[in-house]
Amino acid sequence: MAALALLVLLTVPLSADPPAILVSRQLAARARLAVGDVVTLAVDAGGTRGRQFRITGIYEPTPDPMRFTADRLEARLHLPDVLDLTADPADPASREAVSAINLELAGGAKPNLFASDLMAQAPGIVVRPTARSATDDPFVVLDRFHVAISVVTMVAGTAFLLALMVIRAEERRETVGILRLVGISRRTLLASVAIEGLVVAAIGAAFGILLAYVSEGLVNRVFQARYDTALVFVRVTPSIALRAIVVAAPLGILAGIGASWTLLRREVLTIFHR
Amino acid sequence: MPLVEARDVSRVFPMPAGPVVALRNVSLAVDAGEYVAITGPSGCGKSTLLHLIGCVDTPSSGSLLFERRDTSQLSEAERGRLRLTRIGFVFQRFFLLPMLSAAENVELPQAEAGATASERRARTRELLDYVGLADRADHLPSQLSGGEMQRVAIARALANRPALLVADEPTGELDDETGEHVAALFDRVNAGGTAVLVVTHNPALAARASRRLAMKSGRLVE
Amino acid sequence: MTSFALAWRTAKRYRARTLLAIAGVAVIGALLFDMLLLSRGLLLSFADLLDSSGFDIRVVSGEGLAARLPIADSARLADDIRRLPDVEHVLMIRIEPATVLATGKPPRGISLIGSSDAEQSWRIVKGSSLGSPAAAAEACPVLVTRPLAAALGLTPGDSVSINVRPPGVASALPAVACRIFGIADFAFATNDELTAVTTMEAFRQAMGGGQPDADLVLVSSKPGAPPGRALRAIAGLRTSLRAYSNEDVVAQFNRNGFAYFRQISLVLSSLTMVFAFLLVATLLTVSINQRLGEIAALRALGIGRPRIASMLLWESALLVGGGGLLALPLGQLLALVLDRILRQMPGIPERMHFFVFEPRALAIHLVLLMFTAAAAAVYPVWLTARLPIADTLRREVLG
Repeated sequence: MAALALLVLLTVPLSADPPAILVSRQLAARARLAVGDVVTLAVDAGGTRGRQFRITGIYEPTPDPMRFTADRLEARLHLPDVLDLTADPADPASREAVSAINLELAGGAKPNLFASDLMAQAPGIVVRPTARSATDDPFVVLDRFHVAISVVTMVAGTAFLLALMVIRAEERRETVGILRLVGISRRTLLASVAIEGLVVAAIGAAFGILLAYVSEGLVNRVFQARYDTALVFVRVTPSIALRAIVVAAPLGILAGIGASWTLLRREVLTIFHR
Repeated sequence: MPLVEARDVSRVFPMPAGPVVALRNVSLAVDAGEYVAITGPSGCGKSTLLHLIGCVDTPSSGSLLFERRDTSQLSEAERGRLRLTRIGFVFQRFFLLPMLSAAENVELPQAEAGATASERRARTRELLDYVGLADRADHLPSQLSGGEMQRVAIARALANRPALLVADEPTGELDDETGEHVAALFDRVNAGGTAVLVVTHNPALAARASRRLAMKSGRLVE
Repeated sequence: MTSFALAWRTAKRYRARTLLAIAGVAVIGALLFDMLLLSRGLLLSFADLLDSSGFDIRVVSGEGLAARLPIADSARLADDIRRLPDVEHVLMIRIEPATVLATGKPPRGISLIGSSDAEQSWRIVKGSSLGSPAAAAEACPVLVTRPLAAALGLTPGDSVSINVRPPGVASALPAVACRIFGIADFAFATNDELTAVTTMEAFRQAMGGGQPDADLVLVSSKPGAPPGRALRAIAGLRTSLRAYSNEDVVAQFNRNGFAYFRQISLVLSSLTMVFAFLLVATLLTVSINQRLGEIAALRALGIGRPRIASMLLWESALLVGGGGLLALPLGQLLALVLDRILRQMPGIPERMHFFVFEPRALAIHLVLLMFTAAAAAVYPVWLTARLPIADTLRREVLG
């Protein structure tokens, strides 16, 4: 289907049985259109060579994250209708021209190889695989950006957790001293603080995941309403949840051990000396 | 006219398992310059009575007059002012601020009462000398023994020249010998004209008081 | 002993937790600072880039900046604009997609720029400009961007063949033989941009003859000319045109192209503030709970609630203030890293930056941290204000 440069929408009385078109939900809402309405489309504001079409359906445009701020005021026509509308009467070849051809390759064909072959055989055309490579996909970059942000947040969270575990260790100085006096080994105590750190981190991670699931719906609703799109902005997947726990758990263990290390290394009697 | 007078005071603590009556209709008067000791088994309500008299707590019923003012009619800020300027408190666990030196702990209530820096320094020197710790002024609590910490706590309690010194088990965490030194200090404080009210398990400390009272099950007994 | 001094001593006594808390606040504060830089960074950078080009007015056809359709009779328009009293310089530009063929290499899609001024200040990295005598004698002299030169292994002196492929033109245009005269950096080029620039005359040939209309006319006002006067005069020349000042262009970019970064900046700024608040509030609360006996004793001694509240506020301020100060250099460092990541995004001019320092961001950062410090102290202060003195003393003894 040819890309449409500019169309002007006019609603006029019916004259004949017009061809069918689909309009986007956003266009239907903006122009107050309904299924069954007959509209005139033209490529200029003056309505030159305008043609009438009947709206037979309203569709939700495929959300495009690259264009989520754009107003999706679109209409879909059959290709011959588009060509009739947009072709230059002075250029006989214009009815033979389209701006892009989409291909679906047979199973197993490699898009990059196909593209190179076709460009070699037909100089002057540009053939590009639809799927972006890592070097030209903005979302790969955004993913890296988000990972960097999350690393920074984890560092801050680790400092926070360490501070809390240090306080806990100080609170239990006497208890630790008494346990060491009665013969509980350092190893046992180290294991207990490690487990405590792990539990704190795991519960924190679980709470965070729960919070993420709950806020996921809210965030999506807010932004979908804001930009009038069906795009999903946030999705918490099991893989992400697992990653959160896998990262949090060792940090919690390390925080617990790190905070208690000095205390546990000391000789028993020095623990009681303030 | 008594310095402080408890008239038929009771104190009830609401608990999940049911209210606990810690004090039942207790009446007590302490005159200016008097030395009173209250003894009794654990849980008999003596600390509760001390807290009421020290204006740290308010009675559930009855009235408590300090220098003829009904403390239950006072705001928390006014009671705080009373505690700062007219009552000195000594605790069983000392409760010195660990990050301040002995001198700074003694200066703290004076600063709150509005004393100037020079006034505070002079008074602090005087008090630390009084309790025999002039050479430990710059030491942190962690560098003092239990007895020394309690002496600093007494100096702190006397910082604003209170009319009444209340002490809750002041020798509870000390050995006998150290406790004896602290008890002697209370004698000196009382001899200087400050009323002293002590709650204690220690019979030797109680024996130094001019009046000894016993408590049992929330009541004063003869 | 002032409340600040008490707070300072407390921080010194509990050194480990203080340093960790400051470290945590510093890291999260750095992120907050960066999000504030990001909130307007791209806009500021874009505005700076526009201003650095030397032109302050952009004229396009009535369909607007995004459409970039040819301006009818643009040569006459350029002459009319040149005659305006406030106008210093006029440059006509036409950009069309094209295909370039180099010997032994597959064809590459590029953007071909036709420029009416051969001396336009593309920054020549290698070779010579289009205004050089040798280039003037050439039918189709071309400058290429570094990525294009690297992709096709081009150096000054090489020959290529260029086919213009304007959209909407069905007939095949003849290929034009061109010679590479230089490799240049273009102000708005992305780091992977395949672009070539040639003279308007050569562009005319590539378009099959005829006078190619410009789709963009750049205008620079005379220094000292009242702002907006040249713009209004140009807009008055033809009603079918649209004239934009640099500020207008930036405003449009802000509305359309910048939405994601504004949103992520807002979301992350809010989250970092909440995080810092939680961090400090939790630490203070846990710290208070550890010192309840001390605080009850102070209250019993007559130390008032205001002093204790003031001490806690200072404790919070020390943690947040200390962390906030460290956050600034840390934030600058982090901004370099994040900027480098984001600039890998396709379609971003190489000279644009996402994180641009402005004093406004620093002021907002300071205010937000102050608010966070105050808010974080609210609950601990409330706890100490409500503390039952007698009950706490009793529990401390029993405990």
